Formats: sequence, C-alpha cells, structure tokens
Amino acid sequence: MTAVNTTDSAVPARRSSSAPRRAAPDGARRRRGSAFDRLLPYLLLAPAVISILWLIGWPVLSVLVTSFRKLNLKELTRGEVVWVGFDNYAQILGDSTFWTIALRTVLFTAFVVVASVLAGLLIALLMRRVGTAARIALQVAMLLAWAMPLLAATTVYQWMFDQQYGILNKTLVKLGFDSFAGHSWFTTGTSTLGVIGLLIVWQAVPFLAFSLYAGAIGIPKDQYEAAGIDGASAWQTFRAVTWPELKPLLLMVTFLSMLWDFKVFAQIWAFKRGGPDGGSTTLPVYQYLEGISKSHFGVAAAISVVMVALLALLTVAYLRRLVRSQEGEL
Amino acid sequence: MRPKKVAANVAAILIAVFFAFPTYWMVTTALKPRIDLLSTGYDLIPFSLTNVNFSTAWNKPGFLNALGNSLFVSLAAVLAALVVGLLAAVALSRLRFRGRKGFVLLMLIAQMAPFEALLIPMFLMMRDLDLLDKLPALALIYFAVTLPFCAWTLRGFVNGIPLELEEAAMVDGCGRWGAFWRVTLPLLGPGLVATSVFAFVTAWNEFLFALSLMKDQTKETLPVWLSGFQTNFGTDWGGAMAASALFTLPVLVFFLIVQRKMVGGVTAGAVKG
Repeated sequence: MTAVNTTDSAVPARRSSSAPRRAAPDGARRRRGSAFDRLLPYLLLAPAVISILWLIGWPVLSVLVTSFRKLNLKELTRGEVVWVGFDNYAQILGDSTFWTIALRTVLFTAFVVVASVLAGLLIALLMRRVGTAARIALQVAMLLAWAMPLLAATTVYQWMFDQQYGILNKTLVKLGFDSFAGHSWFTTGTSTLGVIGLLIVWQAVPFLAFSLYAGAIGIPKDQYEAAGIDGASAWQTFRAVTWPELKPLLLMVTFLSMLWDFKVFAQIWAFKRGGPDGGSTTLPVYQYLEGISKSHFGVAAAISVVMVALLALLTVAYLRRLVRSQEGEL
Repeated sequence: MRPKKVAANVAAILIAVFFAFPTYWMVTTALKPRIDLLSTGYDLIPFSLTNVNFSTAWNKPGFLNALGNSLFVSLAAVLAALVVGLLAAVALSRLRFRGRKGFVLLMLIAQMAPFEALLIPMFLMMRDLDLLDKLPALALIYFAVTLPFCAWTLRGFVNGIPLELEEAAMVDGCGRWGAFWRVTLPLLGPGLVATSVFAFVTAWNEFLFALSLMKDQTKETLPVWLSGFQTNFGTDWGGAMAASALFTLPVLVFFLIVQRKMVGGVTAGAVKG
C-alpha cells in the first residue's frame, strides 16, 4: 500500500540525484549479471527438473528393467539380481486370468467413460436451458459430489447399498419390489462393478459437466438465433451449432476420462478387494495383488508395463491435441 | 414451448437430487441415533438427532492419528510442490532461454505420468531409501504427483499477469526480485490458492500408495483408515458416516473458496480446438 504512494512522489526527486551515482554499479552488475542471467532460468528450473527425473523418470525406467527380472521376496531380501528375459511377460500373457482381467478393465473403462461423458454433456446443455434456480441447485449439488473425497464417497455408497439397512433396498421394497429385501448387490463381479461404475460416474460427472458448460456458454448466442430463424429443430441445432464448437473440448475430456477411469483402484479395492472371487479385479488391482500382496515384483512390473503401454497410447493422442491447441502459447 | 421448459427444470432438479443425495445421506446418517439406523423403519428424514456418532468417530483409535498423518503428508507435499513449481513457472513464463519449449513439454508430459502404474518401482525405491512405513515417503510421492500440475498451472497464472506491471515497478526503482516480490507475487495470490487447493485434494484423496507403502497401522492416512471402517466400526454406520463427514469437511470448505477457478484451471488451454 505504501509502496504505491512513495513511488509517485519519490520518483521525480530521485531521478536527478541518483542516476549518475547508480550508473557505475549498474554497468558492473550487467557484466556480472549476463552470465548469471543466462544461468538463471536453468537454476529456477533445476529443482523441478531434478525432482521429475528422479521421482518420475527413474521409476519409468525402473519398471521396465524390473519387468525383465525375477524379483520375489527371496531375491529382494538377498539382493540378488536374476534376469529372466521375457519370462514374466510370457507368464502373464499365457495366463487366461490376465486376459479376462484386461478385457474386464477395458470394458469397464469404456462403459464408465461413455456414461459419464454423455451424462456430463447432457447436464451441461441442460444447464443452459433451465432457470436460474434450477441451475444453481444443479451446480451446488454437483459441487457437493465433486468435493466428497473418494473414500468418503465409497463409504457412503457402501452404506446406501447395504444389504440389510441400506436405503436403496428399503426404497425398492417400499416401491413394491419385495424381492429386494435383504438383496446383496455384491454377490457377482458384474453387479459389484456396476455399483462401483455408478459411483465413479457420479464422481466424474461434475468435472465433465462444469467443463462442458464452460465451453457451451462460450458459443455465440447469434448462431443459435440464426439456426432458430432457419427453422432448425433442436437436434439439427445441436448437430450444426453445438457439436462443431464443443467437439475439441469433448475429445479432450473424453481422453482425460479414459486415462483417469482406467487407473481406478481405490473404489474397487475399498468395496470388495477385487472380489467376490476376483470378479471385480481390474488391472490396477491385479498389479497390487501380484506386487504388494504376493511380493511378485517382477511379474507385477510386467503388468505395470502393459498398463503404461496402454496409457501411453491414450496419452500421446491426448497430448498431440493439447499441444496443437496451445501452439501459440508454447 | 412452456411444457418443455417445465420438463427441463424438473429434470434438472431430479438430477440435482441424485448428486446431492449421498451428501445428505452421509450427514443425516451421522446425526441419527444408532437405534434408528439398525431398524427396518423407513426414514428419509431423521426422527431424532444426536451428535454421539461424531464423538464416537473422533475418539476411535487411529482417527486422530490418521488425520494428523494425512494433514502432514498433504501439506508438506503441497508446500514443496508450490515453491518448486512456482520457480519453474516463473522461468517458463517470464524468461527466454535455449530449450524452453523442451522444458514446457517436459512439464506437460510429466503431468500425464501414470503414477498408479509406477507402484512397483516406487515401492522398491522407497525400500532402498529405507522409507517404507515412513511418512516422508508419501510426502515425496505426493510432491512428485502434484509438482508438474503446479508448475503447469502456475505458469498459466503468471502468463496472465502483464509483464508491463513488473517493468513499471522496475522503472520505479525496484530490482527484478523486488518487482516480482511486490507486484507479481501478490497478484498471483488467487492462482496460488487455487493451485494449492487442487494439489491438496489430490494428496488428501490418494489411496494406492498410502495403502501399499504404509503397512504400519500408526502410519495410515485417513483414506486407508476409512477403508478399513468395517474393522473400525463394525456395523456402526453412524460412526462411519460421521468419520466420512469429518474427512469431507476440509475439502468442501476449500472447494467453496476456489469454486470459480476450478474448471478454468484444469482445462486451461483446452477450449480452443
């Protein structure tokens, strides 16, 4: 506050007296400074770059290297290095369990992504059409869902889907579906994943809806007016005006959703530890079970490499779009 | 036209109910006496209220300890990521130098790093560093997870502050550091808050590494502690919901503070095709 006041009054007075006195040190500093100036950006970047190389770059290399080693608890405690070539890969790729889990992961991800992006888009478009009160109600409700920590939400869902006292079964019974009294939602892997999928969609939609709504309100109003004058139907307006404007953003959030939903671990683990009978195990859960639970680090690393490879494909596609969209800013 | 509008509003309210219900249910369950929870009666609106569940949760063995652990690792990680990220952001945004584009790209790629798939090497690395069952291991990992995001987002915020402001301050006799310290940093305040909230929530939520690296019960963070609520609470859903509510509270407060900045931060740059 005071700084603003002093500059106004002090600058003219200082200019005459201090300029000659300052000339010499300024020159000296520039000469000394030029080497410093050239180094400065690298000095500022050094902590970040070193941290990234150490804590991200090295693990990426290490997971690859580990996947070619036999590394169980015995080798780990003895510090032995046993190279086994592609044995770990052969083991997992030759195991039908792995293929079941991989397929299940891909299907689950696809289902959750499609459901959440579609719901997000519909809600975003709905928010444009409804009155202020309804819109604020929607936004507050979604903010509440967004803010709830993953594990808190998971616990709440477990309670709502509880076999005996859960509100869902009670409501279904009240509505006349008496067979749901004491119904367990977690007897098969599919229905367990269904509940988890609903939870993940519920958690994912707020971000998607808010992002797409931000994109949708950016579309010029006169385009809609023009479409209205031309007598376009709601669907035609969507196809001709909304879709082309929203498509880039929609693609971006779809990629992000795929990356996020593929890696889901906490909710699946907290519900049934990948059960019943392995029925809700996905690749991240499989990696944890092999690596951390059974201490088969080499095999788990091979699973991780498969995951990284799949994610890398998605990431490259996403980054190419992102970089292209930011070309001017880079 | 009219009935369509009404239908849209009704749909919006129903969707709002769907999204708000779990929060409502968490809070009301936490306030219900145990006898009402374990009854077959139908009570969407609680018959009677009590705060006993909150004191049960608060006094459960491990809760306060887990809360402390979570606060420690999250705050330490965010603070470090913010400082290191800000230094990098200033360099990437304000300075011109050889290799700048490469560094920008590095931050971008690092942000997409699939941490969940790096569980095994992280575990082995922390074992080699003798950090298993030690909280700094988690702080270090959460720092790495949030750093690229912080650097990238803060770079966007620094870009948004006109360089002319700093130059004006330098004309008025500030040194380069003075100009940054007195002009840019205060203007960066909201950006720093928004970024740190996001980073904090990421660390606050993290589960996989906390579960894998902290096998010692006294080192559990809140998410891991809560995931074992059935051993902690049995069928005491009131206590479990009270604990969940306490876990949610800080995040909700932070979200309300930065609510307007949230969407822009994550999708900055994504809007143009």
